[in-house]
Amino acid sequence: MANEVISTEQNFLRVRNLCKSFDALKVLDNVSTDIHLGEVTCVLGPSGAGKSTFLRCLNRLETPESGEIICFGKNTLTRDYDIRSLREEVGMVFQQFNLFPLKTVLSNVMLAPVVVKKIKKAEARELAMSELEKVGLAEKANSLPGTLSGGQKQRVAIARSLAMKPKLMLFDEPTSALDPELVSDVLDVMKQLARDGMTMVVVTHEMGFAREVADRILFMADGKIIEDDAPDVFFDSPRTERARAFVEKML
Amino acid sequence: MSSLTHTLLPMLLQGLRLTILIAVLGIVFAFAIGSVAGYALQSKSKIARGVSFIYIWIIRGTPLVVQALYIYYVLPLFMPFLELSSMAAGVVVISINSGAFIAEIVRGALQGVDGGQKETGASLGMTNFQILIHLVIPPAFRAVIPALFNQFIIALKDTSLLTIIVVNEMTQMAMRYSSLNFRYIEAYTALAVFYLVLISVLVLIQKFVERKLGVNAPVKPKLKNLTAKLKLKAK
Repeated sequence: MANEVISTEQNFLRVRNLCKSFDALKVLDNVSTDIHLGEVTCVLGPSGAGKSTFLRCLNRLETPESGEIICFGKNTLTRDYDIRSLREEVGMVFQQFNLFPLKTVLSNVMLAPVVVKKIKKAEARELAMSELEKVGLAEKANSLPGTLSGGQKQRVAIARSLAMKPKLMLFDEPTSALDPELVSDVLDVMKQLARDGMTMVVVTHEMGFAREVADRILFMADGKIIEDDAPDVFFDSPRTERARAFVEKML
Repeated sequence: MSSLTHTLLPMLLQGLRLTILIAVLGIVFAFAIGSVAGYALQSKSKIARGVSFIYIWIIRGTPLVVQALYIYYVLPLFMPFLELSSMAAGVVVISINSGAFIAEIVRGALQGVDGGQKETGASLGMTNFQILIHLVIPPAFRAVIPALFNQFIIALKDTSLLTIIVVNEMTQMAMRYSSLNFRYIEAYTALAVFYLVLISVLVLIQKFVERKLGVNAPVKPKLKNLTAKLKLKAK
């Protein structure tokens, strides 16, 4: 039911006045923004800025203390909101890949469609194989995660999320745990996804990727979004001193 | 020699049946009790944690022999319907005693499962129960095997303490035999050998289970996936 609504609306998520603290530390301080369908949003900023926490609030892996995240008129942060139906539509890729180590690559990708969406196994296998082909790892279907390189693991993790046919993909520093020479494999897959029109929110330190692929940059510092720009504006003429210093340091 | 083959061995074999019966039932129930109590220990419910904690505290804080005496002699005084045969009391004692130790093992294994796995399951829309079944129990079960079998071995040996409530298991039979004819050497040597053989069987089962699950080796893909592989090649 939620699917139909989501696919017709432009504003996927409306985030309003999000606040979150860990003990005394204010990690999110009145964060408000919108996530639009079909857009690639890159979240940049120094470490400790609250980027990952912000991302994790979007599918409620982290519960904010106050604020609203509205998904088609419903606040996802209320207790009676069925967060699992939203999570079925929102894929997430983690820095540490988090592949299920005892399951083969194929089983990793098949698991959620079978268990959550109750798709028949044969069907799920085909679906999983086609997602693995997309990330170029079909020949690894029967390997165990332990035998893969970091880049391959992350591509499997992406395929695993895609197998749920999400409307939105969240990436939490997907290349930060990778050896430098493996980063481009993962970024290439993400670029292809973006070209295919996937809505993405990407927390990253890959400035080249952000500049090339993003439709929009959110720059965060001290728990606030302090810039919300098109990439060329952000990289060429940042408006705040904070952002200018950040861009200079990163480029 | 004839009293050994004619009297001792039949007695021990008779005791062996009870020893195996009590040990197997005890281990099965202990595993069930321990799994539930261990899960409760790390659950969010304060009541479940409290109940589990008190159970483990009492059982670990008292000797098995005392527990056996209490269940066999004392409980029926308060609750006549709890008057158990010595064998049934033996099963109960082994179950609740081992269950407490297994609970701690299970709790450790559950808490040892990488939180990122559970989070990933949640992010894919899985329910807590689905996460438990598909993502938590499989690695936890592998982690728990060595400690679990250790506890099974202890449970098996503990059946010998049930002689205190006159369960006719192996040790009881060996004691009875030696008290008739004072042939201590043959009685207790044979008894020891019987236990050694029984526990060796348990150790073999452990090795088999570990190999089956690939606990010590890097996990190998299952054979059933071969078909998928062949299909792939055909493409």
